[in-house]
Amino acid sequence: MAVSLQKGGNVSLSKEAPGLAAITVGLGWDTRATDGTDFDLDASVFMLGEDGKVLSDDSFIFYNNKKSSCGNVEHLGDNKTGAGDGDDEQVSVNLAGLAETAKKLVFSVTIHDAEARKQNFGQVSNAYIRLVNSADGKEIARYDLSEDASVETAMLFGEIYRHNAEWKFKAVGQGFAGGLGPMAASMGVNLG
Amino acid sequence: MSVTQLVAGANCPVPSEKLQVEVTLSPAQISGAEVDISAFALTGSGKVRGDDDMVFYGQPRPGNGSVAFLANSAGRAEFSVDIPKLLASTEKIAFTATIHENRKTFGAFTSLQVTVKNAAGQAVLVATLPATGMVESALILGELYLRQGQWKFRAVGQGFAGGLKPLAEHFGVDISDAPAPAAAPPPPAPSPAKKPISLSKVTLDKGKPRVSLEKKSEGFGEIRINLNWNRETAPAAKSGGLLGGLFGGGNKGMDLDVGCLYEQRDGTISAIQALGNRFGSFRSDPFIELKGDDRTGAISEGEWLHINGQQWQTFKRVLVYAFIYEGAPNWAKTDGVVTIYVPNEPPLEIRMTEGGNSLGMCAVVLLENINGTLQVNREVRYFKGHQEMDQAYRWGLNWRAGSK
Repeated sequence: MAVSLQKGGNVSLSKEAPGLAAITVGLGWDTRATDGTDFDLDASVFMLGEDGKVLSDDSFIFYNNKKSSCGNVEHLGDNKTGAGDGDDEQVSVNLAGLAETAKKLVFSVTIHDAEARKQNFGQVSNAYIRLVNSADGKEIARYDLSEDASVETAMLFGEIYRHNAEWKFKAVGQGFAGGLGPMAASMGVNLG
Repeated sequence: MSVTQLVAGANCPVPSEKLQVEVTLSPAQISGAEVDISAFALTGSGKVRGDDDMVFYGQPRPGNGSVAFLANSAGRAEFSVDIPKLLASTEKIAFTATIHENRKTFGAFTSLQVTVKNAAGQAVLVATLPATGMVESALILGELYLRQGQWKFRAVGQGFAGGLKPLAEHFGVDISDAPAPAAAPPPPAPSPAKKPISLSKVTLDKGKPRVSLEKKSEGFGEIRINLNWNRETAPAAKSGGLLGGLFGGGNKGMDLDVGCLYEQRDGTISAIQALGNRFGSFRSDPFIELKGDDRTGAISEGEWLHINGQQWQTFKRVLVYAFIYEGAPNWAKTDGVVTIYVPNEPPLEIRMTEGGNSLGMCAVVLLENINGTLQVNREVRYFKGHQEMDQAYRWGLNWRAGSK
């Protein structure tokens, strides 16, 4: 399938991946080879309602809230260094099980503590975020963070949204200033 | 044509022609820091194939001359990189700067700059790397690399505190096995008593609480101790609960101070800390100096305590502590870390992780002179204040409240 997406491009998941029931967001990067503070990238998912805000605070699935209350969105574990092959962080989404009120899922990647550590994606080797069909492991979309989001510290990767009776994916690929906190606030998460 | 300005991490395309790559240091020269600029031609795996892939002062035009020095003087080097003439398996060319014998770090410089010019001699890009605060003595400044058929340049600005050896190893060069002097980049000058440069940072933790540094006839040089912590940035720490952990505002505006108690051979006991304006002196007794807050760079952030290692024989013990000057104690969210830099040794890192959440004082590390060796003991013991810590370590000072 290997769909190549331009920023802002849309793809109908029902057409490109018929029967798509579950997806996995994969985030990968290399451990730091040079001296200095580790690169700690974080994948997060926001489950939004009609109003573009999170359905509730636990619809913000990230390293401190690994599972939505409905159980359909699950963060499989925080990796703080990038150690290991392949995806270093994954969030799995059971699209088929989502409540009707969940209209859109937004996928993001952020560098933990980027400002204090003075880090950006370009300083990280082989950082990427991708969307995979959980059933067959095929990539639906991929974004090379090291290369194409080099000076960013946080990025909205893409979103899956309901369109009529089907799910569509939109590649957003847009940097976000301020990191995960302001991003969560913009999605309506009540920050403690 | 416009010149692209790159910050560390950023990249941009370059034309596939004969390029000039110019490296400049600001200031051009620092007393005591001899800087060598080199280039490494690398394969897709990021390693050299052999000696011909290393362009350095002892070998200015190796191999087919596709990467070669055009000029090389103090504070400035210029390479020609003939992209069409590169060996087919070359996918990257890294440009590096190393300080001879690790005598200084790049923090001694203000900035480093790489300019890439096209065949017509016009600048295509300028990468500027602020150097203030850098603890590295070997740096990858930037790299030309091939990506999806396009040559690009990336500003890197990362490196190694251990100098040339770890840098060379990063590129697959084994310095110790280099057969002839001219076959490898300038190796660290052989000095009989010198241990091999360590390759990595050492973390002292519960499993490995102590390290002992061998006695040296010339002393330990300038021992630099850094206290750093997470100030107000969110996300602050990951250990807390939902959201609270992420946006832990608990340490907002928290001010952590570093200080030390010292005991000299002659029985003198005292303390160095900002509170009470006891800053000490590096050059004269007590040979410990508290530097002003340095918040110029990611690595140098925090507070610095320098101990004159050449005078190590005058010390019996030094207890380095961190205390919360302002704000509620919350060590778990503070991510406090003390790093000890001893010349020619890997940095020693001690994290203030567990416990002590209602206590404002943390005894972090105890340096002891054991028959001339420098023994570093991880402590990480929490106390209510100076008095309690003093008593626990049987120091014997009288404490009263003060303020900055």
